Amino acid sequence: MTSFILRRLFQTLVVIVLLSYFCYTLMTLMPGDPVELMIQSNPKITSEDVTRLRQLYGLDQPTYVRYFNWVKTIAQGDLGYSRTYRVPVSEIMGPKLINTMVLSISSMILSLLIAIPLGVIAALRAGTRWDYLVNFFAFAGISIPSFWLGIVLIIIFAVLLHILPAGGTFTVGLENITTFQMLLDRAKYLILPVLSLAYMEIGIFLRFTRSAMLEAMRNDYIRTAKAKGLSYWTVVWGHGFRNALLPLITVITMSFAHVFAGATISETVFAYQGVGKLVYDSIISNDFNVAMVSFMISVTMVLVFNLIADILYGVADPRITYK
Amino acid sequence: MTTAVISNQVSQKQISDAEKILPMWKIIFSQFVEHRMAVAGLIIICFYVAIALSAPLIKKITGLDPEKQNPLSRYQKMMTTSQASSSQKEDAITLFIQNQPDQAKTLQDEIVAKNLIQVVRSEDALFDLVNKDSIEMKKVISQLEAPAKAELIKITKSFEVFHLFGTDELGRDVFIRLVYGTRVSMGVGVLVAIASALIGLLIGSFSGYHGGIVDTALMRVTDALLSLPTTPILIVVAAVDLDKVPGARLIVSTSNENIMKLVVILVLFSWMQAARLVRASVLSLREREFILAAKTMGAKDTTIIFRHLFPNVIAPLLVSVTLGVGNSILYEAALSFLGLGIQPPTPSWGNMLFNAQELITEAPFLAILPGLQILFVVMSFNYLGDGLQDAIDPKAIRR
Repeated sequence: MTSFILRRLFQTLVVIVLLSYFCYTLMTLMPGDPVELMIQSNPKITSEDVTRLRQLYGLDQPTYVRYFNWVKTIAQGDLGYSRTYRVPVSEIMGPKLINTMVLSISSMILSLLIAIPLGVIAALRAGTRWDYLVNFFAFAGISIPSFWLGIVLIIIFAVLLHILPAGGTFTVGLENITTFQMLLDRAKYLILPVLSLAYMEIGIFLRFTRSAMLEAMRNDYIRTAKAKGLSYWTVVWGHGFRNALLPLITVITMSFAHVFAGATISETVFAYQGVGKLVYDSIISNDFNVAMVSFMISVTMVLVFNLIADILYGVADPRITYK
Repeated sequence: MTTAVISNQVSQKQISDAEKILPMWKIIFSQFVEHRMAVAGLIIICFYVAIALSAPLIKKITGLDPEKQNPLSRYQKMMTTSQASSSQKEDAITLFIQNQPDQAKTLQDEIVAKNLIQVVRSEDALFDLVNKDSIEMKKVISQLEAPAKAELIKITKSFEVFHLFGTDELGRDVFIRLVYGTRVSMGVGVLVAIASALIGLLIGSFSGYHGGIVDTALMRVTDALLSLPTTPILIVVAAVDLDKVPGARLIVSTSNENIMKLVVILVLFSWMQAARLVRASVLSLREREFILAAKTMGAKDTTIIFRHLFPNVIAPLLVSVTLGVGNSILYEAALSFLGLGIQPPTPSWGNMLFNAQELITEAPFLAILPGLQILFVVMSFNYLGDGLQDAIDPKAIRR
């Protein structure tokens, strides 16, 4: 087990390093490097100045040299300086990371709360009208573009009904409020993004719960449990669902990557201040340092969750042995 | 089944019917037809494919142009008509006078002779006419008798544009943009799904058949790519400037630049599922007797892979292609929505939403329509994939 974890940890590290280099190279291929932007804002600049600036910032060196320099400064704890926000990158990352975590985790919890009971019911009543209805709901969930769902939710709840804010993270300018009021205010801004993000996951979880549950209820031990005279719901939850849970755990933990990826779009639609929006905004506005750091953080987070998923899976299913 | 006792009473034909073996495709087809939603999905997909293919025809019949802007009729509601601006009207008349000076002359003379409208200069009669409001203009034209009248009616008809779904922020007709968007979005979806299935087929079969270090290496790469959060990665890759990539210009020309770029990017990050699927089926197929037989007869590796393995993985691959089309359409829409995919003025369902978002209060239908198309098509593909999966799965066959 320990050697398995160590090996997976090593693999994850390799992926992160390779990816950061890959991403760094891509960033150099994006339109507008820092010097080009300076040229645009200053008409008096001469070509000698440009060469001097390129040398000063090391932009005349090959990509791999610049990459190693960047890694060196990162390793010293210096994440660089944001061009658009005019503050060190480390100052903006923290709160955004928390916002994204809150968004992802709450939509994950919401989708599980809805998907698991519905999926179990659909499996128990397979072939009936209920099953078809739930299936349709699930298919709509995996097929709906989450950003469009976000727009529709904004139209309904913010434009027509005026009951929820159309976007943002919290009300600006609120002062002298208690912690509870602040949480309430933030929750209000969280509802629509969470809904739009959760529906996609609901679709995925529903279909998996249903098929896993169908599979589990076909086993012989279910007949045995029923024959013993156990109550219907004990059989369903204690024997059926417990076994259906195993394949479900992988799907749930693996889908964290999915939620996180989806969060990028939901955050952009709702102008929710998270890491996903930061990745998008910084790339659009050529904020190189922020883009690189926020991208690496989001990727690392997903990879770490995948790692945890693998380990948890071994804990949950005693039949699995790691070599 | 017919037993010996009953067979005495049934005709020879019935016996032969009962003994006839259904061909595989018939079993699959009858299985598929049972999945009603999948059939409905197939019909909807056929409908959209028909629209995508006949987009130029629709453009010709309706006379609408997906890129024609009209600043005077922005944000028109559904089922309304818009008037061309007076400069556009005058341009049309100038063109008419240039091309058919004789006909224009007879019409001008007739208007002046009959004194149908107040004319300052006789050569401006036609211009004055088209600048009247449409009811008065029609009344005047109906009073004309010259044979050139038909030509004039044709021109004035093009001034009034009927907008089934209204117009967007630049006064372009939403209906024809949706039609052309179908072409782009479904084209990208199908192209990406097929290309990534082919790559997946090659990598998966190679990896599964060879095993060993090649397999391990390829599968590590596949796993690593699968575990990445797609959207941030796609955003980073899509933002790359092609001019800075050496050699990219040789492959991609400027005219179809952003469509091809998007297809390549999406393929780059969507072949993994197909590869895993193919590898899994090849791993189990490899141990079967017919492969052993082929090997004993001295078949080459390539022969075995292409002749014996591929036909057996086509069916599951078809399912993954179908599901892949839906996913690719979703990714295309998401990237175009973020402004990193298909660039305007080329319409796609995704980039039609890009601008619509900012004017939700004024024109909510602009945001709703393209999304609905995406939902319909992607859902149809997902149901179709589900139906195919049930149909080809031997465990699910109900007899």
